Amino acid sequence: MTYQVLARKWRPKRFADLVGQEHVVRALSNALKESRLHHAYLLTGTRGVGKTTIARILAKSLNCETGTTAEPCGVCQACTQIDAGRFVDLLEIDAASNTGIDNIREVLENAQYTPTMGRFKVYIIDEVHMLSKSAFNAMLKTLEEPPAHVKFILATTDPQKVPVTVLSRCLQFSLRNMTPQQVAGHLAHVLDTEGVSFEAPALALLGRAAAGSMRDALSLLDQAIAYGVGDVREDGVRAMLGAVDQRYLFALLEALADADGARLMQEVEALVARGIGFDSALAELAMLLHQLALAQTVPDAIAADEPERDALFALALRLGAEDVQLYYQIALHGRRDLALAPDEHAGFSMTMLRMLAFHPAQGGAEVAPRAAAQNRPAPGAPQPAANLAPAAAAPSPARALLANIGGKSAVTPPAAAEPLPAAETEPEPAPAAALAVAPPAADTAPLPPADLAPWHEAPVAPSAAATAPMLAVSEEVDAADTVDDEMVELPAAGDADGELAEYALLQAEADATPAEPAVIAFDGDWSALIGQLGAKMGAARMLAQNAALKLWDGEVFHLAVPEAFRNMAGRDFQDKLRTVLGEHLGRAVQISVSIETLDVETPAMRDARFKREQLAEARLIMQNDKVVQQLVQEMGATLLAETIQPVQE
Amino acid sequence: MRYPWQASDWQRLAANFERLPNAWLLSGPAGIGKREFAQEVARSLLCEAPQADHHACGQCQACHWFAAGNHPDLRVLTPHGDDEEAEDGKEAKAPKRKLPVIKIDGVRNVIEFAHLSAHRGGRRVVIVEPAEALNPAAANALLKVLEEPPAEVVFLLVSDAPQRLLPTIKSRCRQFPLSLPSAAQALAWVNEQGVEDAEAELAFHGGMPLFEHDAAEAALRKQFVSGLTECSMGSVLSLADAVDKQKVALELPLRWLGKWLHDLAALRLGGAVRYFPAQQAAMQRLLPRLNIHALMDCQRELTALAPYGQHTLVTRLQLEALLMNYLKAFAGKPT
Ligand SMILES: [Zn+2]
Ligand SMILES: [Zn+2]
Repeated sequence: MTYQVLARKWRPKRFADLVGQEHVVRALSNALKESRLHHAYLLTGTRGVGKTTIARILAKSLNCETGTTAEPCGVCQACTQIDAGRFVDLLEIDAASNTGIDNIREVLENAQYTPTMGRFKVYIIDEVHMLSKSAFNAMLKTLEEPPAHVKFILATTDPQKVPVTVLSRCLQFSLRNMTPQQVAGHLAHVLDTEGVSFEAPALALLGRAAAGSMRDALSLLDQAIAYGVGDVREDGVRAMLGAVDQRYLFALLEALADADGARLMQEVEALVARGIGFDSALAELAMLLHQLALAQTVPDAIAADEPERDALFALALRLGAEDVQLYYQIALHGRRDLALAPDEHAGFSMTMLRMLAFHPAQGGAEVAPRAAAQNRPAPGAPQPAANLAPAAAAPSPARALLANIGGKSAVTPPAAAEPLPAAETEPEPAPAAALAVAPPAADTAPLPPADLAPWHEAPVAPSAAATAPMLAVSEEVDAADTVDDEMVELPAAGDADGELAEYALLQAEADATPAEPAVIAFDGDWSALIGQLGAKMGAARMLAQNAALKLWDGEVFHLAVPEAFRNMAGRDFQDKLRTVLGEHLGRAVQISVSIETLDVETPAMRDARFKREQLAEARLIMQNDKVVQQLVQEMGATLLAETIQPVQE
Repeated sequence: MRYPWQASDWQRLAANFERLPNAWLLSGPAGIGKREFAQEVARSLLCEAPQADHHACGQCQACHWFAAGNHPDLRVLTPHGDDEEAEDGKEAKAPKRKLPVIKIDGVRNVIEFAHLSAHRGGRRVVIVEPAEALNPAAANALLKVLEEPPAEVVFLLVSDAPQRLLPTIKSRCRQFPLSLPSAAQALAWVNEQGVEDAEAELAFHGGMPLFEHDAAEAALRKQFVSGLTECSMGSVLSLADAVDKQKVALELPLRWLGKWLHDLAALRLGGAVRYFPAQQAAMQRLLPRLNIHALMDCQRELTALAPYGQHTLVTRLQLEALLMNYLKAFAGKPT
């Protein structure tokens, strides 16, 4: 016999057994008591918080033989049949596997007939966001004028994908994520009833790992019971959850603080041996670095009961504020690029080595861009275009370099802007130039104070590259006005440059005094709108730049963000963006962000495309330039097409 | 079959046989035998006379069917190799990448299968492999049956990259991370397969023993690596040439160079290598000229190229540019 998993066995059968959704239960109970029933409900919330469960209980409430009630009896024929999943007047439709119009039409045709047994024909449509457009349209008509005996209960994790026309006909309830305490409390109840012994701290760990979902919690609990062979112990759960245990991460950062590469590599191996996933390790590491930055700048923000508080503050003293910032960036980028690495192990350990390479003890500080360039970027200046793969038409860079060997002139390496691979889910080779990952929050963001950050005052290498078209020739020639004669030999731009430059830009933008607060009616052009808002958004600009506007209904901005930018869609950025948009439009607006595969260009993608186009144009201009052609033909010069950058204002 | 290093995994499973959930997620890095383990679990679940340790008997009708690959109560859901990729026109322009996906039709078949009555014994098993190949529609369609499958239906999901699964999928599965082989176990296995240069090959594959061995590819890699060791303009140019002549996808040299850069950085900063132990001494000789920051730049360029790894067009140009970058990491004055 297969065993019935806890999540299924413990699916609540009464409203009273639900955890953490009191607001929904109260509203539904009152409506049931007072017989103020809506004909269509939409339940939203993340995975495993009780959407389907509530839908089924509601179906019982509507059809219980004791009468419409918030407390269905559970013993009558209707209740027992609904619990067993074979009540004729309850139709549960899985929209995700029946996405087509035919299925929906069939169901709706059925709706006109009166119920066979119960008072109501109840349609539960789960994962409703997966319905096709035509299926939604077919449903709309019935939703508009449903027969009195029909109730719809729609459920989805992703209401953004449900057309507004459907949304507006439903009474919507948003289910909340459960707190770790709520989860742990419920798990204790489950284990007591199941007769399984446990240690309370183990449940606290599971509560945290469940990330708001009771189903996740119960799945993990099943796993923990199996792991502990019938017992739920703290050390077992710690080992099972792996990366959630921060001790390994502290060990990594301590090795970094000591600039001890050998130990760093050993700690990486230790992580592997514990079976910790590299992806979650990097995610957790970024979170820890964020905590560290907070500890350095706003110590009060660290909760007194933070489990690793002492270790955190000890480490905060040992790492420089800039280093923490830099490591944070590297961790985020490393995670993003994990799938592109030769294998995940290499991706992870290279990420750690990169951090070490830019450690002050490794000369990281000397490489910092403060030494590099001359002119300060204008606030808000676009970042240099990404260094794209050489076009097929370009002369072989190898030949170009060969031609240079022995020549006196300095070969100026193109200052590498952030090379940005297209997101893994997105086949278009559209590296977004503004893939800068912003610090976590605009207001609480641990940006180092300006007076402590030399690189903030200093110009940054990539901007120099952006302002000077570069031409490398085999002879020292006066290459006319096209060549900036202040061309300096730049140190190759490393992460420090790219990543710190992003900070500098952000900071510069944040510092810039807000410009004219002209109120403009929004015409739907998202790129233009956020272009106007510019620096006002602060770090939340990163969210705006990488979001596509799916829908603007006059009140809510429905934004879609690709998976690769999920970490920019946090609550703090959303709040900041909402505030700025509200101020700009002169009234309160809402923002809703969904993570999904985009079919629309985001502002960042658009900028990247513009830059590519500009770049192609700049190269063409250079290649067709009379002076350049003369140099090439008469003096054997070689045009390094891939080093050409368009001039930015 | 079950590999030698999976004995403890099997015990872990067997100890909990009464609490077997209806959805498993078997995870771990590529090359450790997850698929074979899933097959073994399926075989045991379907066997009509399993042994005391829950291994399949190998004698019964079910085991015979299983061995012949046609057990009617087993379904394996894998990506189809079919080419008709571009369903909606706008993706047609995009460079074709061999990203195999599991589509919703496959999932629908599986749902139907799960609701049929079983041929034998009553149990039915569905293997989904690799689970990260489920496209969003397919993954969503699987949710319902994964959570509340008909009695006696067991799902075995197999994944190298569980973080890429929908959270709603993971939430419905019991995770079961599989053990890695020890170094000795892995080496013994590779030796048994008669792979030439077993130790070096195993190291290159990160210690994961179940790689596909291709002698021609290994030879080309050796040539490539020796060019990197020589580290001169001429040597790296001839590499691009050699790779180009063999018409291999960019992916391969990117992987070689990626691991090589990793080892150079690890040797410089941490004193140890992972993928090329045989070349450690040669790398050591390169270190005095190595600019670690320039190496990190080169690595970043490489990562930027990685999404285009399936291309065979202009491989040479891309590779030349990248190798020039590699040379730059040694261009500085000796320190
Ligand atoms: Zn009842
Ligand atoms: Zn058998």
